[in-house]
Amino acid sequence: MGYEEDLETYRSQRLQSLSSQPSRSVRGGSDPIQVYVNERRVGELEGVGVDATLHVKNLEHIETIQLRTEDGTLLGGLVAPEYGYRTSRIQVSSDAVELCVHNTAQGGALNAAFVPAPSYWSRTWKALADVADRLAIRRPDTAIAHSMRTIAFTQALLAILVVGLVVDRMAIWMSPERMLASVGQPEALRTVSVTEMEKVERQLGELARIQEKVGTALETQQKGMAQLHQTMAKLSSSHESVASSVVMVKEEMEKRQEGSETDRPIQRPVSDFVQKEQLEAAIKSLTVDNARLSNELARLEEHNQTLSAKLQTASVNASKAVAQNPERLLASQPDVESKNQSVQAAESSQNSQTQPFLFWVTFSDGTSQERIDQWVHEKNGRKGAVNEGWQEVRIVPPAVPPDLFLEQIRGEKIVKAARIRE
Amino acid sequence: MQNTVSKSQVMADHTVTVSRLEEVVSTADEFDRVVSQALPVLLDRATGYTKRFLRETGQWNDDIEHEKFALRWGSEYLERFLVCGRTEVPCRPLFLFDSLVAKQHSKPEPFCYHPDLLRPLGRFLDGLVARAVVSRDALIALYHHSYGWGPGEVIAATGLNGLESQRIYKNFRRWRDSGWQRTMDEMGLTKAELAELSSQQQRHRQRFNSEGERLIRVAQAHYRKSEPDHYPCLSRSQWREMFTQGYGCDYRIWHLALCLDCVQTAWGLGSNGSLTEEKPRLELQVRP
Repeated sequence: MGYEEDLETYRSQRLQSLSSQPSRSVRGGSDPIQVYVNERRVGELEGVGVDATLHVKNLEHIETIQLRTEDGTLLGGLVAPEYGYRTSRIQVSSDAVELCVHNTAQGGALNAAFVPAPSYWSRTWKALADVADRLAIRRPDTAIAHSMRTIAFTQALLAILVVGLVVDRMAIWMSPERMLASVGQPEALRTVSVTEMEKVERQLGELARIQEKVGTALETQQKGMAQLHQTMAKLSSSHESVASSVVMVKEEMEKRQEGSETDRPIQRPVSDFVQKEQLEAAIKSLTVDNARLSNELARLEEHNQTLSAKLQTASVNASKAVAQNPERLLASQPDVESKNQSVQAAESSQNSQTQPFLFWVTFSDGTSQERIDQWVHEKNGRKGAVNEGWQEVRIVPPAVPPDLFLEQIRGEKIVKAARIRE
Repeated sequence: MQNTVSKSQVMADHTVTVSRLEEVVSTADEFDRVVSQALPVLLDRATGYTKRFLRETGQWNDDIEHEKFALRWGSEYLERFLVCGRTEVPCRPLFLFDSLVAKQHSKPEPFCYHPDLLRPLGRFLDGLVARAVVSRDALIALYHHSYGWGPGEVIAATGLNGLESQRIYKNFRRWRDSGWQRTMDEMGLTKAELAELSSQQQRHRQRFNSEGERLIRVAQAHYRKSEPDHYPCLSRSQWREMFTQGYGCDYRIWHLALCLDCVQTAWGLGSNGSLTEEKPRLELQVRP
């Protein structure tokens, strides 16, 4: 198989795999759902027909959430907002997973809840309730307000009816006439039974109607509760956002105050009079400094002249000495040069040894500051600036080549990445 | 002439698809519909971005291994986009897709790149370990592919209880049924390449295992960073405490599968004498 053909086959395979996604029915009924936050596994949701939940608090912002089966199939996911809430309901076969992610300045939080598919009976009940809902003409606001009373009333009515029905049936079955009739007069029994049946049917009809009403009332109450929950959630979220805004505003004000005190002293509000006084004082001080500098300059010129005279004398003496013994000077020159060279070499090696080795490193998410400090201490290093998450570290130059040293560093557990250049 | 006409037709279709992707979609269903019609365009786009990233970081070579690597990551990004993008509506799918890929490439070390991991043995091991990060089936199967263990030995080595043991058997079964084949397909390993690996495994066992150990360490060092932060390597006494007290079930399963050294350190702690005393050595298995 040629290069192009092999590649084209692989591409087609990938496309086919993608177009058959999402294979949401892969998950077995009881298999847990794996939850990933920022592509790291954080836990799982039990998927065995119960309302399982998972709460995750993250020190860093939550960017993505993924739900996967045990075989790794991606069931669904969510991209979180930089700040604030986002909720999503992800359908997994007939079940669903409700995700609620909340990012704040302090980090992110995720609530995941597994919502199993409703059972056959609850679906039937819901269908009946829907029918009753369509038939009944109600005003929703009054229905919600009086739902509790309606439920209590209908329940009591239902209980009385059931008790009455049971007593009635017992009385009929326990009466001696009926016993005799049942033994000796089958035709009469049939007649009685038909009447009884009609009566029971009527009662059952009434019962069914009452049941429908109860169902309707229950549903109304549930809707009311759901609305209440939503309102509460909104209220709490707005409360939190207000609280965080207050904190942010406070911090901002503190920063501004500090900034105005340290960085911009000239802008402090002062009166014109005080400004004038300050200006005069500054001019006086400048005049005094100027005079002092003039004196200093004169003194330095004198000193310079003295030094020039000394230099002239020394050069005259030196020329005399050269004239007396020129060979000695020529022999000693290479010594002096080699000495200079060795001193320079020693200086440069000392410089290279004393010059620290600088590299940049990022640490694995969630690594504590203490652990980072400990790590830097272990390396006999010093921390420098932090730029976009990269920590500058200076250490004594390592014994191994820089590339190998970086490889070693990258292999360490707490290190995410390392490089030499900024 | 006909060839020229069909080429221009393809170009026109491509332009129409791209312009449709640039328009706003309002619902998740509309997103699904628009994106599913443009999968080849999006795959080529993501692959192109990945190639450019590799070129710019000096990791590119003009060969089929690099082409497959770029395609693999392109399809990986596209899969995430298909699932997560529908929660971002209303949006312009093309711009959303570009931002998602850019976000991935702005991370330090967005994928595990090593020239030796692009050869068949490297691709095989990279595929296994990468899959283990997102699939529990693959994670458990990693014990089999690394040491040749069956479910019983995995349960003994990790010291699991009854309920967890049942899951291990299920993981093994699913991996044999479909997981292994799917992973090999994802890595673009052909039947011929797999047959060659099996042959090497039988004919040059020692060389095969030592080369495998070198490569699996590279892959594990990269992918272990995807496990929870509170799962570092432990000393034998710490492992003993965990095994004895019976906590940290996930910790044991996750960390030991992805760390050759800790398997040695914790060897025998969970077995109650049912395992051999000799510490396990890497015995690579190609087949599930």
